[in-house]
Amino acid sequence: MSDTNRDAVAQEPSPQDSFLSTSRRTFFKSVAGAGAAVSLLTKGAWAQEIGYWAKDLPNEKLIQMYTDICRIRWHERTMADKMITDTKYRGYNHFYAGQEAVAVGVCAALNNKGSFDQVDLVYSSHRPTGHAIAKGVDMKKMAAENDFRATGLNGGYGGEMHLSDKSCGFIGADGMIGPGHVIASGSAFAFKARGSKQVAVVFAGDGTYATPHFHAALNNAAMLKLPFIYVLENNLYHQYAHYSYSCPMKDIADAAGTYRIPGVVVDGQDVFQVYNVAKTAVDRARAGEGPTLIEAKTYRYYNHWGAPGAKAGELGAFGYDPLAISSFRPEREVRAWMQRDPVDISRNVLIGWGVLDRARAEQIEAAAKQEAIEAFAWADRQPMCKPEDGLKNVFVAGTVPARQFG
Amino acid sequence: MARKSFMYSVLEAVQYEMRQDKNMVWIFELTPPVSSNPGKPVINLEKEFGRNRVVNTGIDEMWMAAATLGCGLAGSKAVTYIPYQGNCMCFQIIQNHAGKLRGMTGGVASMPIVFILEMTGQTPGFAGQHSDYEIDTYYAHIPGLKTVVPSTPADAKGMMVSAIRDPDPVAFLYAGGLRELVEEVPDEQYTVPLDKAAVRTTGSDITIVGSGGGMPEVLEATAQLQKQGMKVETIDLRCLKPMDTETLVKSVQKTKRLLTVDQSYYTLCPGAEVIARCAENVNGARFKRVAFPDAAPPASPEMFLWMRPNAGHIVAAAKKLVG
Repeated sequence: MSDTNRDAVAQEPSPQDSFLSTSRRTFFKSVAGAGAAVSLLTKGAWAQEIGYWAKDLPNEKLIQMYTDICRIRWHERTMADKMITDTKYRGYNHFYAGQEAVAVGVCAALNNKGSFDQVDLVYSSHRPTGHAIAKGVDMKKMAAENDFRATGLNGGYGGEMHLSDKSCGFIGADGMIGPGHVIASGSAFAFKARGSKQVAVVFAGDGTYATPHFHAALNNAAMLKLPFIYVLENNLYHQYAHYSYSCPMKDIADAAGTYRIPGVVVDGQDVFQVYNVAKTAVDRARAGEGPTLIEAKTYRYYNHWGAPGAKAGELGAFGYDPLAISSFRPEREVRAWMQRDPVDISRNVLIGWGVLDRARAEQIEAAAKQEAIEAFAWADRQPMCKPEDGLKNVFVAGTVPARQFG
Repeated sequence: MARKSFMYSVLEAVQYEMRQDKNMVWIFELTPPVSSNPGKPVINLEKEFGRNRVVNTGIDEMWMAAATLGCGLAGSKAVTYIPYQGNCMCFQIIQNHAGKLRGMTGGVASMPIVFILEMTGQTPGFAGQHSDYEIDTYYAHIPGLKTVVPSTPADAKGMMVSAIRDPDPVAFLYAGGLRELVEEVPDEQYTVPLDKAAVRTTGSDITIVGSGGGMPEVLEATAQLQKQGMKVETIDLRCLKPMDTETLVKSVQKTKRLLTVDQSYYTLCPGAEVIARCAENVNGARFKRVAFPDAAPPASPEMFLWMRPNAGHIVAAAKKLVG
């Protein structure tokens, strides 16, 4: 890591190879190669100044960012191990490990506490546990929800794909691809209409570029100058298909130019670079200057869903994923990305800045691991749902009739 | 003849038709048209017909359905496989375009197209959005769209052949829970009509009508009731639109008792239509509906499995109706 790269300010888009003329493999090699050697440059597709805000943050805040990365990492590892080893466990996840720096870097730039008319809102995806932890969702309650317990975050009604916590502005996970972005822009419209300084953020994957909702969200947010931030986490795959199947551009952030809004590419493995671009986007949104599209280049260490290919006690999943049917990620690709690990990068940067020493960093990671273990143990002790409660929560009031008995 | 899975049977039908018609296309996302079956060659439509005719799109069900319709209007046969996550994202195209163009064009529109719409609702823990079995009600409501929901691999193959050869748009509802179901399926190409229900067992005490993903539970309940001496006439609806009123009415005229079973929500479930048609045509019959309550399917297996109609529910309801 060189400071030169991390300090890089926005640049005009450099002339790039025609993505369409390069094969998928060649393209991948160039991305992973760049990733493995040095950090990706932060690039403004729509030229603008990016301040290096993270360097000015107080030590406690920087340490909290590293801590949250560790908490997410160990939540994911603990849950993956549980899926593999505990045959009674019913929970599942679309694991976020590898992408932690994106959620933490963005949420560190948001207001996550306070009353519901002050807190910034985050809309998440089907890969929500990292976003949830970064936003401030209670890990224990989330673990209970993910195992469908009555005392879980959402009473066992939602599970992983519908985690939601109003208390910290986590509007929630979403199992669908597309509509959430447009809905998030609607929240941003409400903020603007009522003169609030809140912002709405949506986290989405590279697969969302192909949806009509991508266009609807950004175009309307641009036209109405909404306080809306679209964080596109490009982990190269939507489910099992490389994003080159659904997007003609190498940098999806280039799409922002169409809407005349800033589009920023950022190294999603470096939490401080993510924070910088998020802070810039949040300031812009609060100032009434409109939306930003942030594309974070990142990678997931596990397969699309669950833990196929993973071994208990080991980070990541490798090899064939039965759900992929006819295509799966090369092991070398996964290992190349794991060389640029968000936990390692954040730790090394803070040690380099003199904010942490190695012993303290390890202590923090050990505490994060312990917290995750305790969260899942707590969840295991929680009561199951009552079957007849399934007839509740259809409307605010009352229950609907049972119909399964005829 | 060989034992084949539901998915393999469907793709076998498509493969044959695509070999006959060099213009026919297949549009998919996320779910590759690939299936293997013991003792049979692997079917991989993408490999066999190439990416020019077999397209893996981005996540955009609206485009998939619209492009399929556009292919039809341009004179090509087209099939799209829309996975359960997006089976209502394409609703407008099917409801307000494909479903009405025959009428709006005075009959001239060319629409030899099939929308395979995957549906779930079988899996505990999948929660609200990934449990969207209710689309049987939505799509069956559309005029100008033939809506079928096969429940066996053999029917799936024959109905897929009919759907591809049919000049009208067909919604082919594909219950994800049946994907691995296996039975003897002929190797040669054959058709199963798109307007006929199937009488699975004959009897004079009660008519039980189910469809699609609900049929395994209906058949299990039928077997239990038969063991207890009840003479059960079990009908697999197969076609929601057009609905085979004749077969239904004939059966209920005989049994005078009709129990419908749906995985879909109670209000306006396909069974409601079955009961309405029989009530209009049969005097003195008694009716009962078993269906999923009018609530979004909760994630918790305790809640979900209690709410989802099963063989036990069907047996108890049948006894109440006959007793």
